[in-house]
Amino acid sequence: MSTVLSLAGVRKTYGDLNALDGIDLSLPDDSYVSLLGPSGSGKTTLLRVIAGFETPEAGTVSFKGERVETVPPHLRDIGFVFQNFALFPHLSVEKNIAFGLENRVENPITDASVVKTKVRDIIGLVGLAGLEDRAVTQISGGQKQRVALARTLVTEPSLVLLDEPLGALDANLRTRMLTELRRIRQRCGVTFLHVTGSETEALAMGDTVLVLDQGRIAQAADADTIYNEPKSVAVARFLNCYNLFSGAPSDGRFAGPDGQFPLGAEKRFSSAVPGYAIRYDRVGIRPLDAPVAADEVSLPATFVADEYSGPAVNSFFQLENGRVVEVETHLSVAPAPRCKPHARYALVWKQNDALVYA
Amino acid sequence: MQAGGIKLTLGVYIALFLTFLYAPLMVLAILSFQIGPEGGPQFPIIEWSTYWYQHLFGLTPPSRIAPLPIKEALFRSLALAIMTMIVSTVLGVSAAQAFRKRFRGQNFVFYLIVLGMMVPGVLVGLGMALVSNELGVARHWWGTAFVLHVVYTFPFAFLVMLAIFNRFDQSVEEAAWSLGVSPARTFRKVTFPLIFPGVLSAMLFAFTLSYDEFSRTLFASGRDLTLPLAIYGTFSVEVHPNVFAFGVLTTLFSFALLSVYAILMMLSMRRAKRIAIQEEA
Repeated sequence: MSTVLSLAGVRKTYGDLNALDGIDLSLPDDSYVSLLGPSGSGKTTLLRVIAGFETPEAGTVSFKGERVETVPPHLRDIGFVFQNFALFPHLSVEKNIAFGLENRVENPITDASVVKTKVRDIIGLVGLAGLEDRAVTQISGGQKQRVALARTLVTEPSLVLLDEPLGALDANLRTRMLTELRRIRQRCGVTFLHVTGSETEALAMGDTVLVLDQGRIAQAADADTIYNEPKSVAVARFLNCYNLFSGAPSDGRFAGPDGQFPLGAEKRFSSAVPGYAIRYDRVGIRPLDAPVAADEVSLPATFVADEYSGPAVNSFFQLENGRVVEVETHLSVAPAPRCKPHARYALVWKQNDALVYA
Repeated sequence: MQAGGIKLTLGVYIALFLTFLYAPLMVLAILSFQIGPEGGPQFPIIEWSTYWYQHLFGLTPPSRIAPLPIKEALFRSLALAIMTMIVSTVLGVSAAQAFRKRFRGQNFVFYLIVLGMMVPGVLVGLGMALVSNELGVARHWWGTAFVLHVVYTFPFAFLVMLAIFNRFDQSVEEAAWSLGVSPARTFRKVTFPLIFPGVLSAMLFAFTLSYDEFSRTLFASGRDLTLPLAIYGTFSVEVHPNVFAFGVLTTLFSFALLSVYAILMMLSMRRAKRIAIQEEA
């Protein structure tokens, strides 16, 4: 698979803030890439640099084999779908979509019938048939999203950047648009770079998932790897499904303020920030006096509360020092834990389910 | 109880405000229907008539009262106001567009522009007269006075456009660029249609301010008078109700323009509402 976009050492600062602190990445052709980053991690800045709205202070941006740092946005052949859609409010749905075809600098289409055909095809693809003559101020959020997408796709860019494209939609619609986006991308055969702050969205969408942390790419891998083997404590934290303990390994155990965990067959990662991670759903709840196997770790804790979400129950426990540990029990594989408030339990997990960063 | 007191006070305040705003206008309007040519600009009304309106258009038999010397002055003022409106609006839009990006010395340039509407008109007018004498430039309403009108109205157009751009969502422009549309074409096809209501307001400001301008024009316009100067000139001899009749006509003209604007707005609002209702049904 060839590379459509690659960045090397891209830097951008705003005052004292290092918005981008040496970004290296490359995006394969014809794939769906999602970029996960918490707010303030520089993800919007990164998109704006790629699109050409901002110029990087250092580093190179290569698009289809050519350096483009100084190329203005309208000559880049990179589409951009905005979080707020940024539709042209004075134009109808159809005119919005036709705008790029009719007005672009390179290869503008002057034949009205050709424009009409292309617009009709794309309207069919994104599912907007029947709304052609509506004003864009008079359609729903999901429809606006589709117009924004159609407007970009109809110009056939080689890369489409999507800045939190589903952020403005309600939860129900979001799930539906996720599937739609994947389908539409496959039909068009272009690369999508989908930026999001939601870990579920990033994992669901990306053939490749990039994790952005403090202006750097912290990890780039497929969704399964990111979820099961986050490369650093920061990545594990963004995934929002790991209990993270600080401390350091010494003498065959990981020691920190929250307890001492004997070390065995854990997955080890070299990382600047040491830490110990165990996924919520890998932790079992047992009575305090239940036996513990040799390859297991046990941590006594007090039950605080639980949260029922349908397929699973999330239980919250407090350690001696006040630290909260979360346990997720999937009801399809285990009965609901039904813990007593303020009672003490043993939280147990297998050593080889844990991840150790050192 | 206390809220009632505040309401009453505010009500009285508004009533007084409206009285002082419209009473002079009403008085002028009533007096313009005085009988002529013997009736003067004071109460009581001897007899109601439209004599002074006919007098304005030269439809009355000749009398000792000369027709208002305003025909050419009216033309000059309209021409000057239109010229000023166009130049100031273009300058205002471009300057405000430039101010969307930060640049070195931005604050200084801002105050420099805004100064044009702050400095006393008489001083600027006098200064312009002196400078043009010194340089041997003849003073004309279309020359020296025109320049001063632009200096005066440009800040207003600039401030209006600055406020408009302040609320403008830049991402629609970026969206157009990312579709491959050049910045110049984006301005013409996207930015300008969206800021057009603001441009209209800026034009309105520039036009009315220039059309009314007195103090700057007084010194800078040279021999040929603009309308405010010509009207003032007639006052210095003797005031007749024909001036009032003229005032009423220009006011009606302004109201007509505003009504057209209001009707257009209302129609577009109603259309938007109708589509919204269809959607719900």
